Amino acid sequence: MKAILAALLLLAACSGLLVVLSRDPKRQVFAIAANGLVLGLLFTALQAPDVALSEIAVGTALTPLLYLVTLAAIAMNRARQ
Amino acid sequence: MTARWRLGLLIAAMLALAPAVWAVVTALPPFGSPTAAYGQVVNRLLPHLRTVSNMVAAVNFDVRGLDTLGEESMLLCAVTGAVVLLRGSRGEDRAEHAGRVPGRATIERDDASIVVCRIGAPILLAFSAYVALHGTVTPGGGFQAGAIAVSALLLVYLGDGYARWRSRVPHPLMAFIEGLGALLFVLCAALPLAWSVPALTSLLPTGKWKDLYSGGLMVPVNIGVALAVLGGFAVLVAEFMEETRTPESDPVPDEEDA
Repeated sequence: MKAILAALLLLAACSGLLVVLSRDPKRQVFAIAANGLVLGLLFTALQAPDVALSEIAVGTALTPLLYLVTLAAIAMNRARQ
Repeated sequence: MTARWRLGLLIAAMLALAPAVWAVVTALPPFGSPTAAYGQVVNRLLPHLRTVSNMVAAVNFDVRGLDTLGEESMLLCAVTGAVVLLRGSRGEDRAEHAGRVPGRATIERDDASIVVCRIGAPILLAFSAYVALHGTVTPGGGFQAGAIAVSALLLVYLGDGYARWRSRVPHPLMAFIEGLGALLFVLCAALPLAWSVPALTSLLPTGKWKDLYSGGLMVPVNIGVALAVLGGFAVLVAEFMEETRTPESDPVPDEEDA
């Protein structure tokens, strides 16, 4: 269990770093989704399944989708101008 | 200030703060040790007082139920604000068919991804109903159930395209569900006042501990929150997606487009 926790904590730090270091917004969205998934697994490992459920549903599905849609809308607006 | 100066300042600040951070970190209780007195009290008292086995639900929907009502209204206000903001530039009228941007490539879905989405969506919906109904028994509850239900609806979009998503998940219905859920929560909070007892007091039978029906009023409150979250997020996603369409272009109702 300790090894799994350590690995997940490390993964959370790495995926969080990836969000900050990637400069392309589209890549950032996917990095943030991966970070959400890792956090969901971490919460599961720490025996907080209810928080994990909301993190996975909101953090890896809904928020990234809204970001992607927003990026698409911005791109459309730029093309029209 | 050049980049090198900034880096130097950062390192100096970190060095200056390091002893304080170290002192706090070493004084922390060991990792995973349950020290919070509130949690211990809740664990000891609530199974008997409220006959629920999910203590998080007991705290959220009973002990601090009024706070949760405030959070729920916050979600409602946030969604309403986003809708007003987006419709302000687009107009109140809803196009009959899904708009389509001329010249945008139509992405054909793989049979495999269509099948996975069509099988996955109903399973996820059933799971969200399970999570909502077992809110007082097992981890989860209304918010989680609503968020899972919305991701099930998103699978319809992923597998069958925007036009069909728009017809299968009617936005007015989602707005109605959101309002219905919020109303159910408000009624559950306000009706006990008519009997001269504090808001959210459970007048329903408490049920059996660890049973599907346990916790009395927390069951309808959980369902209300699930409906409100489902409707709220669905409306939000729908309004955002309308932003990437041009309604004045030729409607192509049956075409799958990405």
